[in-house]
Amino acid sequence: MTQLIAGQLLNGAIVGTLYGIVALGVTLTFGITGIVNFALGVFMMLGAYAAWYFADTVGLPYPLAVLAAVGVTAAAGLAADQALFRFTRNNLVNGLLVSLGLIAVLEACALLVFTATPKEMHRVLPGIVMLGGLVLPKMKLVVFVLLLAVIFATYAALTRTWTGRAAYAYAQNPEAAALMGVATARLQSGVVVYSCALAGLGGALYAALYSLEPTLGSLFILKAVEAAILAGIGSVTGALLGGVILGVTEGVGSIYLPLAFRDAYGLVFLVLILLFKPAGLFAGRR
Amino acid sequence: MKRVAGTALVAAALLALPLATQSDFVLTILVFAFLQGMLAVSFNLVFGYAGQLSMFHAAAFGIAAYATHLFGKHLGVGYWGGVLLAAALVAAISVVVGAICFRFRLREFYFAVVTLAFSEMARLTVLNWNSMTNGSLGINLQDKATLWLPGIGVSAIDSTLAWYYVALGALAITLVVCWRLVHSWMGRAFVAIRLNDELGDTLGINVFRYKLVAFTAGSIMAAFAGSLYAYFLGSLEPGLLSIDTSLGIIAMVLLGGRRAVAAPVLGALVLTALPHLIHFSAEIRSLVYGAILIFSILVMPQGIYGAAAQLIRRHA
Repeated sequence: MTQLIAGQLLNGAIVGTLYGIVALGVTLTFGITGIVNFALGVFMMLGAYAAWYFADTVGLPYPLAVLAAVGVTAAAGLAADQALFRFTRNNLVNGLLVSLGLIAVLEACALLVFTATPKEMHRVLPGIVMLGGLVLPKMKLVVFVLLLAVIFATYAALTRTWTGRAAYAYAQNPEAAALMGVATARLQSGVVVYSCALAGLGGALYAALYSLEPTLGSLFILKAVEAAILAGIGSVTGALLGGVILGVTEGVGSIYLPLAFRDAYGLVFLVLILLFKPAGLFAGRR
Repeated sequence: MKRVAGTALVAAALLALPLATQSDFVLTILVFAFLQGMLAVSFNLVFGYAGQLSMFHAAAFGIAAYATHLFGKHLGVGYWGGVLLAAALVAAISVVVGAICFRFRLREFYFAVVTLAFSEMARLTVLNWNSMTNGSLGINLQDKATLWLPGIGVSAIDSTLAWYYVALGALAITLVVCWRLVHSWMGRAFVAIRLNDELGDTLGINVFRYKLVAFTAGSIMAAFAGSLYAYFLGSLEPGLLSIDTSLGIIAMVLLGGRRAVAAPVLGALVLTALPHLIHFSAEIRSLVYGAILIFSILVMPQGIYGAAAQLIRRHA
């Protein structure tokens, strides 16, 4: 029993980092452009299919395929930003509706191109690691470490570089930041594109672990938004923590409670957080 | 006066339409459009007038569809007994959900997320309560919707023509109720809340109460739409409560227009008729919905009604 719980804890933490990477995009986009980009889920889906396509059909080695997938999602993100999101800055409801429309369009395109049949990528890194009696596929460990590294690198970049500080400054006071020489339009586009690229990275790594369906993004974006709100929107490390908390709750929760309602636990938790601690669990942290 | 004449003309044309065509194809599309229009008009009361982006509308619609059947079957109250009990159930749930959201002052995005969460919980419940709802397979409705007519008594609604008049009547009632609400003191309170609820509060408007009234009234009308829709369709499925249904409702309202009570009906007509007139697969339909949503937000934020009104004003 303890092994089962420990296993679910670990698994939950790994899935949680996947939630976290998308949640990070949600948080950054909201902080800088004032909209919640629900379409990040489909960018994750796009990244997953791109990685699958580059690795299995084109035949690139997996790491290169991941890079190519990130490139593709970044480009798609730039296109979406210039064509759509540029016009909905700081208009939460319009931004939400446009991203909902974008989800419908991109998901339908994915269904037309890739069909609803789940796609399975070749095993990238077969083999397992034994971790104190727990069996863990090597690839899951790699994904976990990689995502953690990217999230912490983002945090470091935001706090240590000029651009990162400019982003914080902009989030706190757009006018003052603009007066201090922050190129606000470029900053906003940059953050939207970077968030899409993060989601694409999450998707590309997801492709190595699970089978792909065109609807995979919908589930993940809901979880990511939950994670971002849970932690307090605007907090980078909070996005990671929120994701992990959510992943672990689901993993451990499904041992004791019926599996069918697994997606509901997170929702109940989210509603309670919003009601009683609306600023989020880690309010005030960056 | 012009407006009254116009309304009377449209009403007369719609009443007389079956004289011109008895085509099942045309009437079926119109019945769906009227019922979807009911849903869109009632959603617009909450969204367009009171300014609350509720994602609970699809849930109210779906819960009522299931509840009508289940009450009718297990309590033996007949179709209309089921409809009324379903509406009462939806009203009760909406008051609870709305009271939670508004008491804690959830706004805009947060309100949308929490209502979406409640909506998803309802969908998961329907999906997993196999003994009652038959899970993801749904239920084929064997029983028929009925109607009491003076002189004829209670009879089943089974012809498309009968459904046409029932749906038209239901839409008309919804429009009248919404029109009366919007053009009353309460409607002005809704608009005040949309524009600035803090200011409304200082003017003595009970923001909590009127938000709750708008939300609950909208949900009850969605419930009636759901009860009718399911029985016209002849089946129940968890998809009725899905995010896609919410998305469809929002698309209808944005396309039709937000600033007039009847405008969303235009959106419902276009979006219901379009996939039938051109044979779209499910994927293409979803693509078209998404594209229309984006298009109406970015290019035509006033919707068809607003754009047409502007055009007329410019040329008048």
